[in-house]
Amino acid sequence: MKIGLEVHVALPTKTKLFCSDSTSETREPNSQICPICVGFPGSRPVLNEEAVRVAKSIAIALNCRVREDISFIRKVYFYPDLPKSFQITQLSESIGSDGFLELEKKRVGIRRIQIEEDPARIIREEGYTLLDFNRSGIPLVEIVTEPDITTEEELREMVFTLRTILHYQGVDVNQEVKTDLNISLAEERVEIKNVTGIKNLIAAAQYEITRQGAIIKKGGVPEKETRSFDAASGTTKTSRKKESEEEYGFIYEPDLTVYDTKNLSENAMRIPTKIAMGLAVKHKANYSTILELIAFDTGALNLINEFEEEFDFKTIIASLEIMKRFGEPANSGVFKEILGLTDQKIDITRDVLKKIKAGDKVEIKKFSEPQIDETIREMLNSDKTIVEKYKKNKNVVNFIVGTISKKYGIQPRDAAARVEGVINKL
Amino acid sequence: MKSYISEFESKDKPKDYYQKLLEELKGKNRELHVFNNLNEDLRDGFPFSVKDNICVRGVESTASSKILKTYKPPFNATVVERLQRQGFAFLGKTNMDEFGFGSFGINCETPARNPFNVDYVAGGSSSGAAVATSILKYHVAVAESTGGSISAPAAFCGVVGFTPTYGVVSRNGLIDYANSLDKIGFMARSAADIRKVLNMSVGRDEKDTTSLDARLRDEPKIQFSVINQLMNGLDDKVRSAFDKLLEKLKSMDYKINYVDLKDIEAAIPAYYIISTAEASTNLARYTGFKYGFKVGDFSKRYNDFFTEARMQFGSEAKRRIILGTFVRGASVKNRYYVKALKVRAMLGEKMRRILRESLIISPTMSITTPKISEVEKLSPVQTYALDMLTIPPNLCGFPHVSFPYEYIDDMPIGAQIVGDHFNDYAPISFVENWEGKFKYRFKYNIGAI
Ligand SMILES: [Zn+2]
Repeated sequence: MKIGLEVHVALPTKTKLFCSDSTSETREPNSQICPICVGFPGSRPVLNEEAVRVAKSIAIALNCRVREDISFIRKVYFYPDLPKSFQITQLSESIGSDGFLELEKKRVGIRRIQIEEDPARIIREEGYTLLDFNRSGIPLVEIVTEPDITTEEELREMVFTLRTILHYQGVDVNQEVKTDLNISLAEERVEIKNVTGIKNLIAAAQYEITRQGAIIKKGGVPEKETRSFDAASGTTKTSRKKESEEEYGFIYEPDLTVYDTKNLSENAMRIPTKIAMGLAVKHKANYSTILELIAFDTGALNLINEFEEEFDFKTIIASLEIMKRFGEPANSGVFKEILGLTDQKIDITRDVLKKIKAGDKVEIKKFSEPQIDETIREMLNSDKTIVEKYKKNKNVVNFIVGTISKKYGIQPRDAAARVEGVINKL
Repeated sequence: MKSYISEFESKDKPKDYYQKLLEELKGKNRELHVFNNLNEDLRDGFPFSVKDNICVRGVESTASSKILKTYKPPFNATVVERLQRQGFAFLGKTNMDEFGFGSFGINCETPARNPFNVDYVAGGSSSGAAVATSILKYHVAVAESTGGSISAPAAFCGVVGFTPTYGVVSRNGLIDYANSLDKIGFMARSAADIRKVLNMSVGRDEKDTTSLDARLRDEPKIQFSVINQLMNGLDDKVRSAFDKLLEKLKSMDYKINYVDLKDIEAAIPAYYIISTAEASTNLARYTGFKYGFKVGDFSKRYNDFFTEARMQFGSEAKRRIILGTFVRGASVKNRYYVKALKVRAMLGEKMRRILRESLIISPTMSITTPKISEVEKLSPVQTYALDMLTIPPNLCGFPHVSFPYEYIDDMPIGAQIVGDHFNDYAPISFVENWEGKFKYRFKYNIGAI
């Protein structure tokens, strides 16, 4: 099996690719538009340098060859969301090419990274097709991979890794990512166009693997074609047989000159997978745990770097996990307190967190373990049947666990373990 | 040096000057179809007209196409903005071949007519600009040339037509024909007026990425090069008039040099390939629902919807869309579009070598002004071939000027001078010099004070 992807993501710029309209989210349709992004005759594109700079950074992060003299092309097709009936995009003279994405066990080739403009948003409503040009001209990069993905697991890992790298380049990875998926179990390539979102991407791949597998099992051959994915039913269906190859009639975009990218300063090159691996080796810690903490949280990585020398690495990781559990944004003030308490083996409860955030002094109540066990024994003695019942149903001690947890400020999980320990010794 | 702009400024105008001008112009317009619309609010300032493919805020700008009827751009072209800032007064939008597709001005609903004789063409595609310049005493025209759309009508209407180096005048606000070839330029009754408006219009514009901040030169040449290959297809009358011009130039101490420029014939196919390839993408946006002609029936499927809108194109526009779509098709692109780009680069290099030491001179058109009835009979290929003399400088972006140098049977004919890139003022200087030895004739002097 071979899978290749064409992933489209919006670049984090304040203004659109070829005009000065804002890219911010807005509820009012067609409120951030101008003659350029609506394609009025007489208007012409002016390239947003920041978009090129971020695209260059992404190209470097994906180990691409970065082109110094980029140019743009017109891709011509008729669709209501395309105001000029051509999209300004890139092909052979695109910002990046011949890169790769490093997975744990293999490399997935990156054929090309191109800068292009997003079309308008189509809203279908009450028998009408409505158009919102606020999206028209939003800068995108399209990342085209080689068909190097061979399993569903690799697909998941590849998508995760790509997203975390993009996150570190400032891309909003929670946006609805549009992907074209090429997937072939046999010779011929099947393309699934315009799959929106990561969940749908995986679902579309799963469906297609099953579908093509079934054809092959019956002795058939999956045909070369373009299919579309229906999210509601989780299935794909034929949209175009490949005999009619698409014809875009590419020509150079003559309103944009060759653009020199040499002097654009790229972002800091932080590759989260590499960083996690480095930390794991250095501190003999678990790679996946670290990666999971920092993948979509640059703040977490900043905290690690800030306290790495001062505290035990395990304590740092444990503290970050606490922050994550309580949905606490990675912020060094709160974190430092948590880190200090965790270092003293103090359990952080929601109450404790509240105090930390309110700036209150956290009173550290320390109880000896025999003292806690004695309380448990007292409670067990108050009802002689409870130990018998416990053998059939562990829930009968929930009341005791709750009381202990609250009284001594320890985790319910730990309290339950203590209760079990006392019962076993009886 | 005669400057109508300076003369106009020095004269006291009667109170109703602009009103009278408009009235007289309206009358003449009914006969010659010069303007697509006139500015009723015309007041103070030296009048300038704007070719209808150049945007003026709030003024219908259709490029003489039915598909752009009612399109009123919400912005000014940069050139319009710059001239207005200098105190010039917008007079109206001038007629043209639809989207600039034509050499005679006949590819539109009501073709402009030659002011010297209404049976004859005005030339194209900037037909109205040339006629307006020929009939108005105090006026300059903002026109545009892709393959000869300034030189050809200027020659047929007996005015000076100047096309600058590609990129020195911003194209912002131009309704595109072929972006890598389109140049906004000017027509006037004297070279000195061209120099003035060019000077006001040049300079980098943030809104046009291809616009340049080049310092234009005025580097005189005493040597004129005549390209042998371009002299082959000349009409006899044109040939003998042109030979006389060369003799006259010799007597003015210019040197005439005959040179070979192999493969210059390839300029025509290269030009038509690049221009139609670009035009077919530019015209793709006209789909009938955001501006201009609107289909109205929203129950149609999109393909049927935009197909109905695109019926509004005239036949030459349709021909160029089909041709342009073909030459950029994946299976033939290398043979046509890519090769044409190479031919353009190759010819540009060859011409530059000649232009380093000299100016290139030729007749502007290989024929005398034809009758409308004559050109209607020509096939597209015959028509395209008539652009042979104007295409090479246009294809390669060299500045050039067409100026009247003779009258045959009371109709003017023009010659064309080409300079090196950014030596834009050299051809203009020559024409200023020429005007000292030759008197232009105009049939009308509307607005004379
Ligand atoms: Zn815009």
